[in-house]
Amino acid sequence: MEYFIALTTSGIAVGVLYGMLGMAYAVIFKSTGVVNFAQGEVMMLTAYTAFAIASMWDVGFWTLLAAVMVIALIVGLIIEFVFIRPMLGQEPFSIVMVTIGLAVAIRSIVVLIWDADPIPFPSGLPGETISIFGSGMYDSQVYSVIVFLALVLIMWVFLRFSRMGIAMRATANAQTTALLMGINVKRVFAITWGLSAMISAVAGIFIASVQDLMPDMWFTGLKAFPAVILGGLDSVFGAALGGIIIGLVENYAEGYIGFNLKEIAGFIVILIVLMIRPYGLFGKEEIERV
Amino acid sequence: MRSGHFIENYNKLVDLTDNPAKMAWSWLLVVGLVLVPLALDSFWVSILATIFITAVGIIGLNLLVGTTGQISLGHSGFLAVGAYTAGILTMDYQVPGLLSILLGGFMAALFGLIVGIPSLRLKGLYLAITTMAFAIIINHLILNADGLTHGSEGVVIDPLNVFGFEFDGDTSIYYLALAALVLATLGALNLMRSHIGRAWVGIRDHDIASKVMGINLVTYKLLAFMVSAFFAGIAGGLLAFQLQYINVDNFSLLVGIEALSMLIVGGLGSISGSIVGVFFILLLNELVRVTTGMFADDGGTMSLYIHEMKGLLYGIVIVLFLRFEPDGIMGKWRDIKNYWSNWPFHH
Repeated sequence: MEYFIALTTSGIAVGVLYGMLGMAYAVIFKSTGVVNFAQGEVMMLTAYTAFAIASMWDVGFWTLLAAVMVIALIVGLIIEFVFIRPMLGQEPFSIVMVTIGLAVAIRSIVVLIWDADPIPFPSGLPGETISIFGSGMYDSQVYSVIVFLALVLIMWVFLRFSRMGIAMRATANAQTTALLMGINVKRVFAITWGLSAMISAVAGIFIASVQDLMPDMWFTGLKAFPAVILGGLDSVFGAALGGIIIGLVENYAEGYIGFNLKEIAGFIVILIVLMIRPYGLFGKEEIERV
Repeated sequence: MRSGHFIENYNKLVDLTDNPAKMAWSWLLVVGLVLVPLALDSFWVSILATIFITAVGIIGLNLLVGTTGQISLGHSGFLAVGAYTAGILTMDYQVPGLLSILLGGFMAALFGLIVGIPSLRLKGLYLAITTMAFAIIINHLILNADGLTHGSEGVVIDPLNVFGFEFDGDTSIYYLALAALVLATLGALNLMRSHIGRAWVGIRDHDIASKVMGINLVTYKLLAFMVSAFFAGIAGGLLAFQLQYINVDNFSLLVGIEALSMLIVGGLGSISGSIVGVFFILLLNELVRVTTGMFADDGGTMSLYIHEMKGLLYGIVIVLFLRFEPDGIMGKWRDIKNYWSNWPFHH
């Protein structure tokens, strides 16, 4: 039983990170219909930027988080403006390939600037272990769960009540109609990318403070794919929930079966899920007319 | 005066080419390539061999992505299956070399069938992510099934031996690769002009519409995956015999992305475009290696540096081509051709 609890808590701790990244994917896909393959790389870039800030000034954890979110917003806006906006009107495949190209380029830039060796991340947290149901968790993991819940709540309020959130949902629902109703669709797209970069920056800081800064951090971005597929690419909260499910599945698979299954358990799960429900658990089925 | 290019009957439409000059030039090119090793040193011959082998795989990928319109980010997986099957069969089970390359192709086709099954229900991005998941799972299996695959140690492979003749050294591999490329090109061109190729194009343009037209989606989508994986598997087997050592690092996800970048640079959907794309990207690679080699100081950081410069370059090339020349080099070529054949009129 203790083993089960330990697996569960660490599964949730990983799962919330997938959940955050999954939300970041879903936000973009929902309003623009594009999967941003560079999400993990944006996360890595912001985490390394956070490291650069933290090694220059001794700011506390929460200030660092806020600063990095602002930087991430700018990064997201730049990516949208320079790379994505000129591609508007092209088919999704082209835009997705642009994000893949961007991903490969960002990976290389990070290594060229910061080198390939792992760097311990000065998060500014004391790094204590907190006991929960008899199993230890790092304080950063506990904070990540809390921040994750807060993020989900904020996103819900934002999408449900704020003007921008409603505009986003309208754009997602019917782009042309939204445009005709006076919504500035370009601005919605820009804010979507910024918002998504901000969410992935939060994930990035927590990932960096649990592990170290490593040039293969981007892979966590790919591992969050199962989460967002499981939830359905167009469901923000489905992605959040999917993240936790994937985190748990990974840990149980590793703990009870072994074979280093942690690395691929999520991918196996989505292969099965996609066979049964091609649009994810909470995704909306598209009805196509010829 | 010729005022345009007209196709007057059905046979002409499905001919490989209705232009005798084009045919003559193509064969001249092949003859020229046969003579090339006499003129170049072994460094360039080995680069050309790599280009030919890669082109075999890219032609296969083009059949899937360009012709059938099913996106695959996981072709590194098929390449790995082909390479490992060929390597393991010759080294551990003493299967003759050429046969093992062929069996590697068939094994990859089998995996293609498995990966193709989700494509019956999935479209676009969902499919892309599924194929990527496949590549990740294959790499994981190779690392963990070390009884069969030698795990992270990799497989050391003896030179290919066909009836006593050893394909050792760059020139012999060059001819093998050239033969494979010519066969692959002819095979793909003939497939494209058959009813299979036309069914694939139909599926790419609109799958439901082509279903209504009587094209069996299940058969043709699965066939596209299998044929494409077969080409990739053959390329993998050839690669194994060229490198004589394979390791899971040769088949990272970046390989699949590199392959797509070659397709985009060359021009999706065109076989000559695929080959041109391979030339462009791999020669660019060499350029990076040569230029960074001039500035770098010591060996260790240099190889890392080159690797990252390559990554950066792929990224930039993909983004720039999609932004400014989405039809690739072949698209540009068509534009130029149209311009001259219609001159002085604009079209």
